[in-house]
Amino acid sequence: MIVRINHVAMLTLMRREMVRSIKIINQVIWPPIITTLLYVFVFGMALGSRIKQVQGVSYSEFLIPGLIMLQVIDSSYGECSSSVFQGRFMNSIQEMLIAPMSAGEIVFGYILGSLVRALVIANIIMVLGAVFVHTLPRDWVLYFGIMTLVAVLFSALGVIFGLLAEKFDHIAVLTTFAITPLVFVGGVFTSAQLLPPFLRNFELINPMFYTIDAFRYSYTGQSYLPLWLSLAVIGGLACASLGTALRMAAVGYKLRT
Amino acid sequence: MSLRVEAGDFFGFLGPNGAGKTTTISAIVGLARITSGRIEVFGYDNVTQWREARRFIGLAPQEYNFDRYLSIRDVLIFQAGYYGLAPRLVRERADELLEQFGLERHAKLEYTKLSGGMKRRLTLARALVHGPKILILDEPTAGVDVELRLELWALLRRLNAEGMTIFLTTHYLEEAEALCRNIGIIRAGRLVALEPTRDLLARAGRGLQDIFLELTRA
Repeated sequence: MIVRINHVAMLTLMRREMVRSIKIINQVIWPPIITTLLYVFVFGMALGSRIKQVQGVSYSEFLIPGLIMLQVIDSSYGECSSSVFQGRFMNSIQEMLIAPMSAGEIVFGYILGSLVRALVIANIIMVLGAVFVHTLPRDWVLYFGIMTLVAVLFSALGVIFGLLAEKFDHIAVLTTFAITPLVFVGGVFTSAQLLPPFLRNFELINPMFYTIDAFRYSYTGQSYLPLWLSLAVIGGLACASLGTALRMAAVGYKLRT
Repeated sequence: MSLRVEAGDFFGFLGPNGAGKTTTISAIVGLARITSGRIEVFGYDNVTQWREARRFIGLAPQEYNFDRYLSIRDVLIFQAGYYGLAPRLVRERADELLEQFGLERHAKLEYTKLSGGMKRRLTLARALVHGPKILILDEPTAGVDVELRLELWALLRRLNAEGMTIFLTTHYLEEAEALCRNIGIIRAGRLVALEPTRDLLARAGRGLQDIFLELTRA
């Protein structure tokens, strides 16, 4: 059986997502970059000068990969969730639903668009990290591989919540009550080694910890957990999230009557 | 309901509010899931051969559902992209349609900046951009002034004369009477009339409005 893929449609949707990001650049591109710069200057350079080393590197160097992950997670989830919800709310998603596009092509189109946005933001921060903190990834394959995997995981989650949401407010539920708190305690600002034992144990059930710990390895060559374990957890979660998003789109959940 | 619309027909699909017109359209274009029965579009089953079936259909929905982030030229180009047509192949087609529908001066605007009549024209242009063989129109002249209505009628007649099959739902019975070669009337999901417009009018010897009320009265 030949499986035909309408790749033009998928790339069109990806381009559409990029157009959307550019149209709202002051809302989605500059804020994460400015926020990251503020974190680097306030936490990394000002407060960080009082901390000698974390995991064998300066605090500013320790901070950069965590901040990149923070923005990759935030932007990939935000892009897909708000775009899918908006499409449903304005009915503009019907343009795709009536076209010869499969559920997979629609989901992957959104995810590709979201991935581009996350990669652009992440790499701007990477360059800023190189300029201000003089740190660069040591392992580029891991750097791009983990970033892509994490972006796919959170983009797919964004698709799921974009489909579940009944109003814009619902999209923020996951960000406010799960993503942001878990990312902040998940090792962006501190090493798990510096945490009290009960919090250290909590990190083992915090998926964000695995993403940040593994990604930091691409910069420092060190991680708290074995790399294979983190990659397995991130990969497993990405598959589960992607599978759920594809299934929801395939049955037309809140898309087709 | 069992219904067959011949290729090249100008078919009017009428019925009171809630009769099932939009649901039928949604089922044809794939916006509604079909739980029983089947629909074929130019010989292609719209569930098992949905890609082929959908390529033949152009839909002009009643509500404006344009992408608010795109210029109206890009609305056309991106819509064609969803149908698998690469942008370089459709730019010319999009410009032709913008010109044909008198929208070329507004090509770079977002749709929110257009008047109601222009939005209606853009709905039709978008439905035509991928070169469908059947045009499904859900209340295409709702809320437009007389001048634009006549203009749209002329355009639809021309498209039909060029071979386009047209499936029209409307609440304006004079519109159906003026345009449609065949008419189906639906009441509560059931087809209560299906015949050539001329025969329907001749049979009753009255206007379409009287026949419509008689057939659709609860």
